Amino acid sequence: MTQLLNDDIIEQIREVFNGLKNPVHLMFFGSKESCPYCDDTRQLVEEVAAISDLLSVEVYDMEADSDLAVRYNVDKAPGLVIAAKEGDQITDFGVRLSGIPSGHEFTSLIQDILLVSSRDSGLNPQTRAFLKSLDKPVLLQVFVTPT
Amino acid sequence: MIQAEMVEATEFPELTMRHSVSGVPQTTINAGKAHVVGAVPEQNLLAEIQRVAAK
Repeated sequence: MTQLLNDDIIEQIREVFNGLKNPVHLMFFGSKESCPYCDDTRQLVEEVAAISDLLSVEVYDMEADSDLAVRYNVDKAPGLVIAAKEGDQITDFGVRLSGIPSGHEFTSLIQDILLVSSRDSGLNPQTRAFLKSLDKPVLLQVFVTPT
Repeated sequence: MIQAEMVEATEFPELTMRHSVSGVPQTTINAGKAHVVGAVPEQNLLAEIQRVAAK
């Protein structure tokens, strides 16, 4: 299989990943149903995860692992959960990518990994206080295009 | 309580159409209760979330 990331890009990411502070666990959900970008996305995520020892990746299937997909609220393939990991303990911060993170969105993948690794949302205190007070789930869907 | 999902619009055209996404980024809150177009400051997004949560 041809690598998606060339050596220059890998070296750049390795430098950025020097800023990783804590382990990050990537949960990839693919599908055997029509999913033209599943294979490329899985490969991309695996290549990124291989760059740092602080990153781990697990590959799941939306249908075969439907209980897990439901638990993590993943309803699109390719779907990616970017979670924190301490030992065997996975902590979900609600960060998801749906679709292939290519083009500009590849940067979003790398930034999301750094953010989850920092364990700090960077939000201001008022925002945090309000979000903590939420008693009903809030779903933010940010629509983006790769170019 | 909060989930943030980046959606690659071209791969999920039905959902993108349903929320009338015309420019990116567009943030849709709770499957259409509110829409925020553009990369807005934290305060503005918070205000929209508060408006939706108060309903």
